[in-house]
Amino acid sequence: MPEVKLVNIVKRFGNITALRGINLTVENGEYVCILGPSGCGKTTLLRIIAGLLKPDEGQVYIDGEDVTHKPPEYRGVGFVFQSIALFPHMNSWENVLYGPTVKGLDKSISHRIAREIMRTLKTIDYSGLYPGELSGGIAQMIAIARALATGAKLLLLDEPLGALDPRIRVDLRYELRRIVKGLGLTAIHVTHNQEEALTIADRIVVMRSGMVEAYDTPENLYWHPKNLFVADFIGKVNVLEGFIKKALTGGKALVELTGGISIEVYAKGFSEGDKVVVAVRPENFEILDRSEADKPNLLRGVVTRARFMGDYYRYDVTLESGERVTVNTPLYRSEKIQVRKKGEPVLVRFDPEKALVYAYPKRGIERELSIEV
Amino acid sequence: MVALAVLVLLPTVFLASFPIVYFDEVRYEVFENPLVGDENLRMIISVLLFSFKLSISAVIIDLVLGIPLAFLLARGRFPGKTLLETLVTLPLVIPTSGFGFASLLTWTTVSGIGGWLGLGRGILETSATIPGTGIPILMLIVHVSLTLPYVVRTLQAKLVELNPVYEDASRTLGATSLTTFRKILLPQILPAVFSGSVLAFARSLGETGATMVVSGVRITAAIAVVRWEFEFKLGAAAFLGLILVLITWLIILPVELLLTGKQGIIKPPPLIYKTGLEKVFLKLESKLSKRGLRNLLYVVCIFAVAILVVIPVIVVGESVVAYWYADPYTGKREGGVVYQLLGPPNYLPAILRATAISFTSAFVSTYISVFLSIPLAYIIERYRFGRVLRAILKIPLVVPSSALGLSTLLMWGPKFMGLITPGIWLIILTHIVFSVPVIVETIIAVYEGSDIKLYEDAARTLGANPYYTAEKISLPVLKEGIITGAILSFTHSLGETGATMIVMGSDIPISALVVNMVESLAIPAALFTSTYLIFISMALIFVFRLATRRK
Repeated sequence: MPEVKLVNIVKRFGNITALRGINLTVENGEYVCILGPSGCGKTTLLRIIAGLLKPDEGQVYIDGEDVTHKPPEYRGVGFVFQSIALFPHMNSWENVLYGPTVKGLDKSISHRIAREIMRTLKTIDYSGLYPGELSGGIAQMIAIARALATGAKLLLLDEPLGALDPRIRVDLRYELRRIVKGLGLTAIHVTHNQEEALTIADRIVVMRSGMVEAYDTPENLYWHPKNLFVADFIGKVNVLEGFIKKALTGGKALVELTGGISIEVYAKGFSEGDKVVVAVRPENFEILDRSEADKPNLLRGVVTRARFMGDYYRYDVTLESGERVTVNTPLYRSEKIQVRKKGEPVLVRFDPEKALVYAYPKRGIERELSIEV
Repeated sequence: MVALAVLVLLPTVFLASFPIVYFDEVRYEVFENPLVGDENLRMIISVLLFSFKLSISAVIIDLVLGIPLAFLLARGRFPGKTLLETLVTLPLVIPTSGFGFASLLTWTTVSGIGGWLGLGRGILETSATIPGTGIPILMLIVHVSLTLPYVVRTLQAKLVELNPVYEDASRTLGATSLTTFRKILLPQILPAVFSGSVLAFARSLGETGATMVVSGVRITAAIAVVRWEFEFKLGAAAFLGLILVLITWLIILPVELLLTGKQGIIKPPPLIYKTGLEKVFLKLESKLSKRGLRNLLYVVCIFAVAILVVIPVIVVGESVVAYWYADPYTGKREGGVVYQLLGPPNYLPAILRATAISFTSAFVSTYISVFLSIPLAYIIERYRFGRVLRAILKIPLVVPSSALGLSTLLMWGPKFMGLITPGIWLIILTHIVFSVPVIVETIIAVYEGSDIKLYEDAARTLGANPYYTAEKISLPVLKEGIITGAILSFTHSLGETGATMIVMGSDIPISALVVNMVESLAIPAALFTSTYLIFISMALIFVFRLATRRK
């Protein structure tokens, strides 16, 4: 039963440092997603765990054993590739049979293993077909069967759904989690799709520029992101600048925003006069009529763009301070509240507990949010 | 199209007409000679068998050395990779007679490896053969060096194109690197292994320049064609040439058809799996897949390239210096380079004249070929029969050059059209035959590697007419391919020996001069001329590298 532990992994390609000291532990039986923008080093990290790349520094432990210098064929991991990579000169059955065969198992045993795993993954009907004759989703299921037929208890998935149609992608992600949980495997799944990560992972590693920015459950990452980058990467945020005007009771504070309006937020560990940013998710903003102007945390503005997104409306609102914010209004609210038009003056507000407050980033907001460091 | 047919395609096949039209002559010489009976026929059979033995052995060694080298060049990342690549390719552009002479020195004389090891003689006799096979070692060595690039380049191109993800997948599924090679890579590169081997085989079968220099008493089929033409045994030469051309056709065309098939993957029958030897193989491969062993294999292959290619070039350069004023062993001034060039043997004017002939013919034939090649490449890319045309155009590249030379001689010369007598003009006409395919292939490579069709369509939608589009869009994009092809064809033309010797008459170009010098034992002069020829070609490659580097 595998547990994966990475200690201070560093990897350089020429002058570029792809990984800058990664420490990470994946518990036995966990489904972990590594999430990050392209180029953040997430695939490199996965390849290092598989043994397809060697780290320049640091150690890889699988199940307590130091496997840093072990070639991939002896690590007992299953690897699933974005490009699927079924061997083109073998049919599905031969592909699945490949692992047991090269391990030198007896013919009857390897055939039984291949048959069982293909039954479990409901792909046995496609045994005789060649990779070119399979649809993307089926092909990837067979690639997963192939990886599992080696007896791997640790499944490494490199953007496994990236090459598939959007609809199949969504269906298959739940299927993936079901397989992993059903067979009691440990899975590390690399993706750049945050929705995918949020919906299937037990825990998510957020990476940027070769470093781990956060490692937590999807709920915690969404509600209590450690920093502004994570907040913006796991769902978007609107960023408002201001300073702490006054500490209030109950962990609350009064923040004066650019433009002079004061709002109430929950903020700990700040002292008066500290420069801060207040981050509010578009879905946590609410648009009010002028008649409700007595509520707290109100900001005045004008709708500069209104878009229908299917299950919600998205408004761009330019505040009096000149800052622009995005507001998402779900449709069930739109029944009560009329649809806003471009140029319409509106009031937007948010609940104090839904606002995230961070110290003003030293290198400025734009750099803080950029995918490079 | 007419120009193409007359200048390129017709000479390739004209050879066939000779044994038919002059059948009596052929019968007289080959089958029923009143003096020697069918002695010539038996000679033909014997040289053909010998050539086959030699070429097949060369191809086998090519594969043993070439597969690891191609893998190293395609997948490896190490300093000096470009250098290794250049060294492997060098024999493609070095004039073969010069290279043959360099190899001769290296292996059989005290100036070469033997001298370096302090033996006081060469480490090989020219006539030394591999015991039990009758294959001359020196000839085999030269053929391996000259044909290795074909195997390495073909395989390397295929490996680069193959996605390494299949190898990664196989490794994570528990296969060692050797098992991965056998079960995953080999089936996918098998077509390339075939086509590389066929090219190498054809090249070895037709090789003339270097072989003549190192041949000693044993002669190959390609050389026999040249010798018999010199002895005015046209019938026998044409007959043998025709057989060579037919053999080349028979092996090239099936492979071409096989390779242009849709999948490009050959599924080998699961022989090992069926026989139950799989487990034995797996164990063996797992033992041999150690990193150290793999690196050792690479080192051995690199070392082989160094011995085959680099050392001869060094030896020949070193010898010129040693022989500059006098023979370093006897101390006689008559044996020095200076004496032979400027003294009574007076080779200098001959060298200068040969240089002029070489450069003129290389320049003119390349120039004409470029103009023929551009529309040809266009036709090949645009029309359905282009593929056939392309396959046909490969033939001059692989047909033994002496047979090709004989064919052009017969076609233009006194026997048929009577238009042109052997000399520089016939050299030019002959060189065009193999220059056009070289240039066409490089243009096509660039064409297919770029989005030129897209640019052309864009230009058309922007209101440009087809001619304007070709001039302002297509040609500039293809410029690199055209230049590359022209330089390749220029160096090839400079070094070509087999065909040139047949059609040159009294206009002796520099590559043929080396052969003549060796045959008349003017060793210091041959030394100088070989070095001179090799360095001119290397300078040209250098220019070529500079021209293609900037992107």
